[in-house]
Amino acid sequence: MPELLTFRAVDTYYGDLHVLKSVDYRIDSGEIVCLLGGNASGKSTTMKAIMGVVVPARGEILFENSSLAGVSVAERVRRGIAPVLEARRLFPRMTVYENLEMGAYTRARGPDFDEDLARVFTLFPRVKERLKQLAGTLSGGEQQMVAIGRALMARPKLLCMDEPSMGLSPAFVEQVFDIIQTINKQGTTIFMVEQNANMALQIAHRAYVLQTGQVVLSGPAAELRQNPMIREAYLGEMKVS
Amino acid sequence: MAETARGMLGASCAWLRAASPVARIAPRLRPRIGVALVTIGALLFPVISRNDANIDSAANALAFAALALGLNIVVGFAGLLDLGYAAFFAIGAYTYGAFASYQIEPAWSGFWEPFQWLGLVAHTGDVVHFTVSFWLMLPISAAVAAFFGVLFGAPTLRLKGDYLAIVTLGFGEIVPIVARNTPSVTNGAMGLNGVAAPQLFGWSFGIDATPYYYVGVALVALLIFTSTRLKSSRIGRAWMAIREDEIAAAAMGINRVKFKLLAFAIGAAFAGATGTYFVAKLQTATPEMFMFPVSVMILVMIVFGGIGSVWGVVLGAMILQILQSWFLEDLSQWLHWLGRLIHVGWLQQVELSSSIEMIFGVILVTMMLYRRQGLIPATRPVQALSMTEQTAHVGSGGSSHNFDRLTGLGALDREAEGPLLAVTDMTVRFGGLVALRSVELTVPSHSVVAVIGPNGSGKSTLFNAITGLVTPESGEVRFAGESIARLPPHRVLDRGMARTFQNLRLFPGLTVLENVMIGRHARLSTGAVGALLRLPGSQREEEEAREHCREILAIFGNRLIPRADHVVSSLSYANRRRVEIARALASSPKLLLLDEPTAGMNPAETQELASQIKGLNQLGLAIVLIEHKLDVVVRLADKVVVLDHGEKIAEGTPDAVRRDEEVMRAYLGRSAAIA
Amino acid sequence: MTTGALYLQQIINGLSLGAMYALLALGFTLVYGILELINFAHFNVFMVSSFIAMWALELLGISGQGVILTGFALVGALAFAFVVTMVAAGCLGVAIERLALRPMRAARGTAAMITTIGVSYILFNAILLTVGAESKNFPNPMPSVSWQVGGATLRLREVLIWSVALVLMGGLHLFVNRTRLGKAMRATAQDAEAARMMGIDVDRVIITAFFLGSALAGAAALIFGLYYNYTSFIIGYSAGLRAFTAAVLGGIGSVTGAMLGGIIIGLVESLGGQVFAVRWTDVIIFSILVLVLVFAPTGLLGRAAPTKS
Repeated sequence: MPELLTFRAVDTYYGDLHVLKSVDYRIDSGEIVCLLGGNASGKSTTMKAIMGVVVPARGEILFENSSLAGVSVAERVRRGIAPVLEARRLFPRMTVYENLEMGAYTRARGPDFDEDLARVFTLFPRVKERLKQLAGTLSGGEQQMVAIGRALMARPKLLCMDEPSMGLSPAFVEQVFDIIQTINKQGTTIFMVEQNANMALQIAHRAYVLQTGQVVLSGPAAELRQNPMIREAYLGEMKVS
Repeated sequence: MAETARGMLGASCAWLRAASPVARIAPRLRPRIGVALVTIGALLFPVISRNDANIDSAANALAFAALALGLNIVVGFAGLLDLGYAAFFAIGAYTYGAFASYQIEPAWSGFWEPFQWLGLVAHTGDVVHFTVSFWLMLPISAAVAAFFGVLFGAPTLRLKGDYLAIVTLGFGEIVPIVARNTPSVTNGAMGLNGVAAPQLFGWSFGIDATPYYYVGVALVALLIFTSTRLKSSRIGRAWMAIREDEIAAAAMGINRVKFKLLAFAIGAAFAGATGTYFVAKLQTATPEMFMFPVSVMILVMIVFGGIGSVWGVVLGAMILQILQSWFLEDLSQWLHWLGRLIHVGWLQQVELSSSIEMIFGVILVTMMLYRRQGLIPATRPVQALSMTEQTAHVGSGGSSHNFDRLTGLGALDREAEGPLLAVTDMTVRFGGLVALRSVELTVPSHSVVAVIGPNGSGKSTLFNAITGLVTPESGEVRFAGESIARLPPHRVLDRGMARTFQNLRLFPGLTVLENVMIGRHARLSTGAVGALLRLPGSQREEEEAREHCREILAIFGNRLIPRADHVVSSLSYANRRRVEIARALASSPKLLLLDEPTAGMNPAETQELASQIKGLNQLGLAIVLIEHKLDVVVRLADKVVVLDHGEKIAEGTPDAVRRDEEVMRAYLGRSAAIA
Repeated sequence: MTTGALYLQQIINGLSLGAMYALLALGFTLVYGILELINFAHFNVFMVSSFIAMWALELLGISGQGVILTGFALVGALAFAFVVTMVAAGCLGVAIERLALRPMRAARGTAAMITTIGVSYILFNAILLTVGAESKNFPNPMPSVSWQVGGATLRLREVLIWSVALVLMGGLHLFVNRTRLGKAMRATAQDAEAARMMGIDVDRVIITAFFLGSALAGAAALIFGLYYNYTSFIIGYSAGLRAFTAAVLGGIGSVTGAMLGGIIIGLVESLGGQVFAVRWTDVIIFSILVLVLVFAPTGLLGRAAPTKS
């Protein structure tokens, strides 16, 4: 399978604070790859670097084998990377339908748009019911559905999800993760930043574990599920060289 | 080629500077000699230039310098953008004008007799004439203006910067409109005329500009003196803290309401006194003199001169005023001559002095875009560390540090029974989201309690609720036996609880020492009077505070001491974290709340800080610590509390908690098997 | 006139004023919604536009109230004037944004607002220096047709103002709710970072907001001239105060709020001038402004509370 997204020795800084320290990731087409880690590990910064909100000080990020250096956020969306943001961040005073429209902002209207809309409705029947409702009035779980739908409207090759389980009840979390698997089977590559390691490792193909900006563990999800070192990484106890 | 030229130029400048007389004067004396020279120049000016028009312009310029100094206190020191400042100028002017104009003539009645006896009024026939002395009115109008300063400032206390500006603009416009429409007191739109000139020992000032000039010099000197004394005092520091970060200022014990109102009052008082001076000099007052354009003009002066810099704003005001009255006239004449020379018609007609407002607009925009700090910036750039200081071995202080000199830290008045801090049933709700649900926390005296939990579990919200930054929906907080729930943050600090912030809330434009001194604010008592007069008690207090703060900086070895006079924004992230801890310690707290103190530090720095925290605890200071690094928690904590989704899910010794399955599930997430 | 008729007349006046203030307030609130910036220059863009409108009409040979047109000629002349004024005003607004405000976007606190004060001054004095301080007679080709309604007089110009205002407000409403760019503007106002991550060009959205807002100010300026038959360098101040209060009263950042606020302030001005004396209207308006900001900062329909947390 071809490489879709690659991080090569990426360093990022926040002022003089060294956040990501020479990290390498590889996401192949068709996979679900998870990025796990405890607080302040650098997970959110990774997402921001992919979207282009944070610019690496060193190293490169490649998408479909071409560098993303200097590529604007809008252009990245056009090239096929769409985000599902942490805490959803729907446009609260726009309707569900309008939010979906915004997801498709970079695309022309036409039969493709209608097709994708239909797909979103099939995946999320609840969304179809609430089309005219203001997004801010939906429950957390419903908002997450809309947020994923909004990202899908960009017909992305790579769907980047930032903590999709945050703030959701366990029932919804299960639903959401089921849907993520379905989307993946339909052909979308998924890169997911998650704190809930247990759920994430159940659907992921591969995973990376971050601790204070460094990759301390990586490998197939099946292996990591058995690895007791994950607990240490989350509690910030892993010894790093 | 260009390189060599630049190099030679640089070298010759350096040589000139070194060889000049200036270099021979010690750096410390330079400002004082500068001030002496300026003073002598100002005093001799009318003697040197006998031109009455020039002296008159200079006297006007001095009035604006005084106004600039006043606005500088409100905008520059305290960070409150007052767009209606001219209103206080008006109030000072009309207060004096009403009592000194022959146009105001109330009817005589018995009411006025005591005032006649005091020499304040005289009566001829049926009407009263005011004969209040100018010198008496100066402080009185200042006081009246100060009163209005508080009145207009009070509604703005909770407003964001730009809305504060609009409300003050509103008040600033209402005043001249009221003046225009209440002719009985102000003679309406025609203005007050015939305002009596000041008298000194029976001799009236008359129309010669020179005596007014000297009064102006005295006034400006007094205001400069007041500004500089306040700026370097506890008051000035409180204002600057409010300007830089109001929330952090409150958390460090500063009563925001009191200090904001004080800034408004003092700034207004300056304008009130200047209003009296200006009206006495012009002998007339009209509403047009005090409208929005005047407020804007003073704003331009302080932006141009340097917001926050006392001499900067004086310079800015004088330059712009003199530009307006002298320079533009001459420049217009020159342009006329040029126009005749090159036969360009409009050049011969141009009158630059009428385009002064245009020039002001251009200056304002240009300065905001390209040099926002003004001609004389308020913060001085600090010398870089010398090579020896930079390469010095970093002494870490830590447990070997002598903490005994830090008096008051952690000491309790009496060994109370019961825990130092007891939080019960704490619930915090933001809109529909429950951030904390019935959380209970006890902190025994002299202990270290760690609060851990995944992202979003409510740890920082807990700190915010305990310290009064956030109002809980329900719950009780008892500190040293007394209830502190619903106290404002500065009172919480006063009781002995200090904190640091997860995302660092230092005062970015201030130095390390200034930041830490602000931490000491609540333990000092110098007020405006003490600051102005530099009473021995105040000076001693300031010295002791400085010593105390240096002691605290010394806890961190020589990481912070060499940088005591550096602006904190130039420090490394780790050092900034240390400064914030030092600031909290400066208030001699009994309980210290640290929110992720080791965030961003490498393992070595983390261990160093952990040692220092241990040392502080051994001194008696109780500590509550939000921390992610479990090795730090294990090393320091007597007890660990675990939060998840706003609820406490576990409590116990570090070892017990580490092995707790519930805690693991909280961090790693529930698997699908356990619904 | 009977008292009832008097009040009816003032209501008619108030609605015309309100329409003008609403347009001006809309322009202001569009920018605020996205940038949270109080743009002082907006009200002098309005003033400058009134002169542009005057020159546009004079270009057609219309000056003073001497030349009267009817029918298609009238409609054509007015349409020409509106288009020219609105486009010119829009360009002026965008120029101000590019030159003076874009570099200030990162500045914290009130720095950007202070810059708009400076720009406002420059516009104000540019007109004062070039055109002079006297009021100018505004060209008005409208015939003085009027109707009697319940004892009050309804003039053609009032009908014109209401129609133009309704068309423009309706147009804005359609733009903001039915077009892609308009929705992008609303999205940016609600969450600029999320909008950027949808691929929305936030910079372009900002330029559009400035262009539209200033164009609306231009329309309001032409309306001012046609209503009062004069213009001068000072009209920005008074109309600006009222429009700003309207925006705040309606709820700053809210489009419907600006419209509602405009109508209310227009009525307050005309009825207030009737009940109290005209010279107190400024104080009344300022007082409303201060009271709303201090006690009810979200206004009637607004959401963003301008208080500190």
